[in-house]
Amino acid sequence: MANKSHVFIKRFGIGRILEHQANALVFTLLVITGLSQRFHEYRVSNWIITTIGGVDTLRVVHRWSGIIFALLIVVHITLGIYGIIKKRWPAAMMVNVNDFLNAMENMRYYFGITNHPALCDRYDYKQKFEYWGVIAGGFLMISTGLVLWFPVDVARLLPGEVIPAAKAAHSNEALLAFLVIVTWHIYNSIFSPEVFPLDTAIFTGKISRERMVHEHPLELARIENVPVEEIVKHHHSHHADTGSHQDGGA
Amino acid sequence: MREGNRVLPYLMLLIFALLIVPGTGRSAEPGLDEDATACLGCHGERGLTVKFPSGEVLDAFIDGNKFKASAHQSLSCSACHAEFSAKDHPQRTFRSREQYSGKASSVCRQCHAEEQLKKSPVHASLLAKENKAPVCSGCHNPHTVTSVAGGKQFVSEKDHCMRCHQHAMGITLRNGEKVSLKVDAAALEGSVHTKLACFDCHFGFSATRHPKRNFNTPRDFSIAQAEACRRCHFDKYTKTLESIHYSILSHGNLKAPVCTDCHGAHTVVQARADKLQSSKRCGRCHQAIFGTYTKSIHGTALVQENNTDVPICADCHTAHSIQGAHTQDYRDKVPETCGKCHGNSTLMKKYGLNPGVVNSYLQDFHGVTLKFYQRQKDGTAPDSARKAIATCVDCHGIHDITKTTGPTTNIVKARLKNRCQKCHAGATEEFPDAWLSHYEPSLSNAPLVFLINLTYKFFIPFMLIGLILQILLHVWRYAVNR
Repeated sequence: MANKSHVFIKRFGIGRILEHQANALVFTLLVITGLSQRFHEYRVSNWIITTIGGVDTLRVVHRWSGIIFALLIVVHITLGIYGIIKKRWPAAMMVNVNDFLNAMENMRYYFGITNHPALCDRYDYKQKFEYWGVIAGGFLMISTGLVLWFPVDVARLLPGEVIPAAKAAHSNEALLAFLVIVTWHIYNSIFSPEVFPLDTAIFTGKISRERMVHEHPLELARIENVPVEEIVKHHHSHHADTGSHQDGGA
Repeated sequence: MREGNRVLPYLMLLIFALLIVPGTGRSAEPGLDEDATACLGCHGERGLTVKFPSGEVLDAFIDGNKFKASAHQSLSCSACHAEFSAKDHPQRTFRSREQYSGKASSVCRQCHAEEQLKKSPVHASLLAKENKAPVCSGCHNPHTVTSVAGGKQFVSEKDHCMRCHQHAMGITLRNGEKVSLKVDAAALEGSVHTKLACFDCHFGFSATRHPKRNFNTPRDFSIAQAEACRRCHFDKYTKTLESIHYSILSHGNLKAPVCTDCHGAHTVVQARADKLQSSKRCGRCHQAIFGTYTKSIHGTALVQENNTDVPICADCHTAHSIQGAHTQDYRDKVPETCGKCHGNSTLMKKYGLNPGVVNSYLQDFHGVTLKFYQRQKDGTAPDSARKAIATCVDCHGIHDITKTTGPTTNIVKARLKNRCQKCHAGATEEFPDAWLSHYEPSLSNAPLVFLINLTYKFFIPFMLIGLILQILLHVWRYAVNR
């Protein structure tokens, strides 16, 4: 198997890679231009707002970023559903019972009750959590953002209180999203010992077979058309030898 | 007294001579009368002496310049040397210099009465020596004597002026207007300037100087005279230079107020001592606004209850550096202006008002926008690009501020709706409900907002702590495996 440790497997196409980069950029812009309004009393917020050219310019940037973010989400959902219906790709992001079982199994592993982590498919439960977090949070941010952008039209249809309520939700959800990204996402893609110094999969579109064995054994078994036990057998023995989870330089 | 009686006929003779013989002698030296000029014709020569039978010599030379600088410069020679004039120079003989000095010094008492002299401890002790007392000229050379207090004789100087100005008197200015020059002594005593001398403000005047001045109009005089205030109140003066009143004045509108128009001249009292009077002073020119103000919640309390907690004109507009109220700068400062009182919890508690109103505005969308507009004044973004942000006065009124509860509630609500529509075109009747009316969201007021905030208050830490624990577990497991 040693000759297979430096083998790379294609994980993402160019579409997914560009989509992630666009999302990352727009998300950063939205966070900078949005949270500086929520935390307007901080000096750094003041610096951001005056540097960008005033609070009105900041809001223009925020709204344009919002439009792009909304378009990215709409295109993603439409394409995703289209691909699933046309059987171009499997509904790999769908949440199922196994995800909850995997989460609990990993807990047992973390506490040392079992000696191997859960066997996950193309996307593990952590990734699904983040993905659906972005989708659900995104819809909340887009809808509340539109309420704040067009308060007069909203107040024609709904009670006026909806507008401050939308502001509360928009602002709180933004803070939540920001905190989840800077802790969970940054840890998993940069600081986690399994990927440090950087998980390059989303930049190169490739992942090492070594990492696939650890993180997505079910998918690897399907790709190599062997039973999953075959995949993890070596992994577990290897695990006992060196204990290394580090992928061989993805 | 004997001397006084002798002076009069000579004075009359002198006046008579001057009247019938025009151009007698040489022309008067500037600053001296003709009488003195004539005398100095001989006595101005150095070396002129008088020899007494005792052999003593008296210098009869008078230094004209020193005399002009002396306290006696306004007196004519014959006022003291009674028998002498431009015409008459009687020959008199004295035994000794001492006899002459004693005789000559007695004339001092004509003006410097014994009671007055005794007020000075030095003079009192000398006078007590009876015959051994030195004569005046022994210490004070009458031709060069200067004022002991160097021109500052506060109370007595005031008395000096009031000797005339306590009476009904006046002058006619160039435009024909008559101006009273009477000073109300009682008001002067009651003013904050009671310790000042007249000359502290009326420059150029003194016990011996009374220059003739003429102004076109009383207004010209007031504006010129108000310049005197800055000598002491320089801080206030510099503030007024930035004010709209000064700007109007400097553009030629002489109706713009100067110091004395608001503070009075001889009757200056502490400006803030009487709030009602202070606002009435503004009302003298700003009549319509003052009328509106007196009907407002603040004005009613001031006028009817003499409530001094309420703001008067100067509290919002300031007293000296008054800005035009229609400027963007002034509008931007409105929340700050109102916040001086409405953000003061002690004061608001007294009237059962919510002290959080200003902060609730400042933390909301409009308040934050306004704050950054103010910070952008350095040129980050041009003023023209900014939107007109609603502030306190747009809904609550300016000079006609009303209560937000009771019968005037609807006035405020109507203003709110109108103000919303100014920027939010097509805003409906219900649109202002989006405004939380300055109150913190609660279960009874804006429950939806309250519940959303509450949910996130627990959900954000719950989520974050959960994820961080996961990360820590992951790191720990990894470390154990190694």
